Amino acid sequence: MFHKIKISNINHPIKDAATIRFDIPNHLYEQFNYHPGQHLIIKFNVEGKEARRSYSLNSCPHNNEALEVTIKRVKGGLVSNFANDKLKVGDELEIMIPQGRFYADINKDAYKTYFLFAAGSGITPIISILKSVLYASPNSVVNLFYGNAHQDSIIFRDKLENLKKEFPQRLEIVHTLSEPKVWTSWEQWKGKKGRIDTENVEWFINNYPPIAQSTEYYICGPGAMNTSIRKTLMDLGIPKELIHIEQFGGKKDDGNNDIKAIDNAQLKATLNGKQFDLIIPNGKTILQVLKEADSNPPFSCESGVCGTCACKLKSGKAEMKSNMALEDKDLNKGIILACQALPTSENIEIVFE
Amino acid sequence: MDTKRKMPILPVEAYISEEWFDKEQEIIFGNSWQFAGLTEDIQDPGDYITVQCGHQNIVIVKGRDQRLRAFHNLCRHRGTQLLRAVGKKQKALTCPYHDWTYDLSGQLISVPEKEEEFPDLELDKICLHKASVDIWRGMLWVHPKPDAEPITKWFEGCWEYLGPHDPTRLIEYPDTIYEKVINANWKIVAENYIDVYHLSHLHSNTLNMYDHANAKYGFVGDHYMFWEPLAKVYHDNLDKLSPTKRIKEMTDEYIGAYVPWLFPNTGLSETDSSWSVFHTIPLAPDRTKVVVRSKIEEMTDWEFYKKSAKSNMSWHGLMGGETKYGNDDPNDPMATGDFMAEDVYACEQQQKSLKNPLFSVAATALKGESTVRTFQGIVEKWMSK
Ligand SMILES: Cc1cc2nc3c(=O)[nH]c(=O)nc-3n(C[C@H](O)[C@H](O)[C@H](O)COP(=O)(O)OP(=O)(O)OC[C@H]3O[C@@H](n4cnc5c(N)ncnc54)[C@H](O)[C@@H]3O)c2cc1C
Ligand code: FES
Ligand code: FES
Ligand SMILES: [Fe+2]
Repeated sequence: MFHKIKISNINHPIKDAATIRFDIPNHLYEQFNYHPGQHLIIKFNVEGKEARRSYSLNSCPHNNEALEVTIKRVKGGLVSNFANDKLKVGDELEIMIPQGRFYADINKDAYKTYFLFAAGSGITPIISILKSVLYASPNSVVNLFYGNAHQDSIIFRDKLENLKKEFPQRLEIVHTLSEPKVWTSWEQWKGKKGRIDTENVEWFINNYPPIAQSTEYYICGPGAMNTSIRKTLMDLGIPKELIHIEQFGGKKDDGNNDIKAIDNAQLKATLNGKQFDLIIPNGKTILQVLKEADSNPPFSCESGVCGTCACKLKSGKAEMKSNMALEDKDLNKGIILACQALPTSENIEIVFE
Repeated sequence: MDTKRKMPILPVEAYISEEWFDKEQEIIFGNSWQFAGLTEDIQDPGDYITVQCGHQNIVIVKGRDQRLRAFHNLCRHRGTQLLRAVGKKQKALTCPYHDWTYDLSGQLISVPEKEEEFPDLELDKICLHKASVDIWRGMLWVHPKPDAEPITKWFEGCWEYLGPHDPTRLIEYPDTIYEKVINANWKIVAENYIDVYHLSHLHSNTLNMYDHANAKYGFVGDHYMFWEPLAKVYHDNLDKLSPTKRIKEMTDEYIGAYVPWLFPNTGLSETDSSWSVFHTIPLAPDRTKVVVRSKIEEMTDWEFYKKSAKSNMSWHGLMGGETKYGNDDPNDPMATGDFMAEDVYACEQQQKSLKNPLFSVAATALKGESTVRTFQGIVEKWMSK
């Protein structure tokens, strides 16, 4: 369900991004509670057309901060440019309550080292986790490795610097730039250069070893970086369960196109407390069928990235074309992404929880 | 055994019987976080050390991800102890008996003659028994249980009573490790460490740089916290008297000596010019090994020489040079001017009397020995768990 929420402030942390603050009315406060790392699904109306997009909350839920998202321009992107050019304070947007499986469970008694990896706009959920650990898990420490193109594309650079001053013992930040500007008007880049690749990740882990020996690894950036960091960490012997990944968008063509879907399979779906009995014509995903039946299913990216359409397979079989949102522990429980799932048995039964 | 004779809370038996000793090893040392070394003891991936926690020997090894892992040092095949003392840059852990090999995360990865001898054995189902390890205040700590409470919870509330020192920044000079086997029960050693009453008596001439009368002390959970200010002469002449450089973080606001006892068996001594950890390892009811490791600010040989010469010269004039029993016998612990020797002597002399049928504790000091009574109460509480 979407709620109409007013924009209370807009600022630009860098030229090509807008941070949008929301004024959550008192009666929705509880519902808008969230874990650091989660995102909002926002409905935009761009030139008369409706578009849904996910944006991670960069605010900190443990610090009484108003909810904020930060939208970075994507070349040719419909919503991201609209948001940067057209949105004004006072505008209302339709927003679904915070969700997503990519989040840190903050425990005040924990003693953990958090390794955070971000590139570009991927800093949004990462800074939320970072602040939450610093403010709400007083014994834990954070090591952040943050990659950008050049000096002027570093979102939240000042904020991070201030946090480092506030928590000098508990926070380490390393920036790396892939195309540093040799001379900007005010500084020469003396920091690390290059992308967050295998070599740099190993360098980072070796130079910033964990203090607390319980560790967690959170990664948010472009698909290729996410996969390569995960591989590097696993090659170092880090168990899969400790590695958490968020992806903002993926190439459409890297999915599995060889699924032998069953023609006209029978679908039984439980959604918002209602039962739907539907037929899935060949080639259609479970989500498409549910949308056509006006059952109002939850969805956002429709590309297997955000996890909004996750549901549980109660019986029967289904395969996904692509999955960048679910972890092994979800898959083991029978969770699937409706927007990616094709039936591979005659009858399937799902429930949205 | 005469159970009426108390020390004054624990029975005398607790300090002399094998049976009590074994139970203590199991109940206390099998269930608590214990000191295992300094973080720099394990530098690189594949480096390991072993530590004894009660009846259990534990290996701590660093993985390629720079994380420490702790395992019970016990092969899953037929229980042989896997590794000795310390080692460097291991790629894997191999048992000496039949060469079963585990990776650095404790997973069994190879078994010789597997096809013929163990056709049904599933390697990936066998892992070394896990223990817990963590870093706290620049020290390594282990707990024999895999699901131990966080080390910060174990030491909850203690940090604010400790010195401002950052031990990871300080340097341990080679040849400064002190090791000694004391012929006394480990609790006699602990009680000596926390006995406030003895400071101005046993150590009347050795620890006179501190103002014992103004010491502040008490327990936080099961841990004992202690702080005392410097004596005036020592404070006023700190630069001349302190044997090594002043610790940078030890500004006037913090100055004094922080000497806590972390349950069950680790003392710290954090002073104006040094940081030491005093590790007590129970060997037998009447034998305890003590290992003391100290760190100081980094100093060149020349600075070291100048500083200690100045301190020696000034000490005699300002602090007095007498020892407790002013004789010149170099073998008399009470004449060495070394407070550790005085403590060892007192502990061993007390242990000697425990089997004497006339032994009893007439009374203990209201304040200065309340700490000993509380400590015994804590041990009693653990033993009746
Ligand atoms: C869980 C989740 C959280 C997200 N959080 C944020 C956030 O905090 N801040 C933020 O700016 N964005 C975030 N995104 C991305 C966001 O939802 C949009 O995809 C993005 O703003 C582009 O939308 P658009 O309408 O401008 O582009 P579209 O018009 O949808 O796409 C234009 C072109 O850009 C490509 N593209 C789409 N997304 C990206 C991308 N992220 N990087 C590079 N190319 C892309 C498309 O493949 C297409 O070719 C998040 C996405 C997800 C799934
Ligand atoms: S709608 Fe985003 S994963 Fe399905
Ligand atoms: S006991 Fe270890 S290999 Fe046999
Ligand atoms: Fe003493």
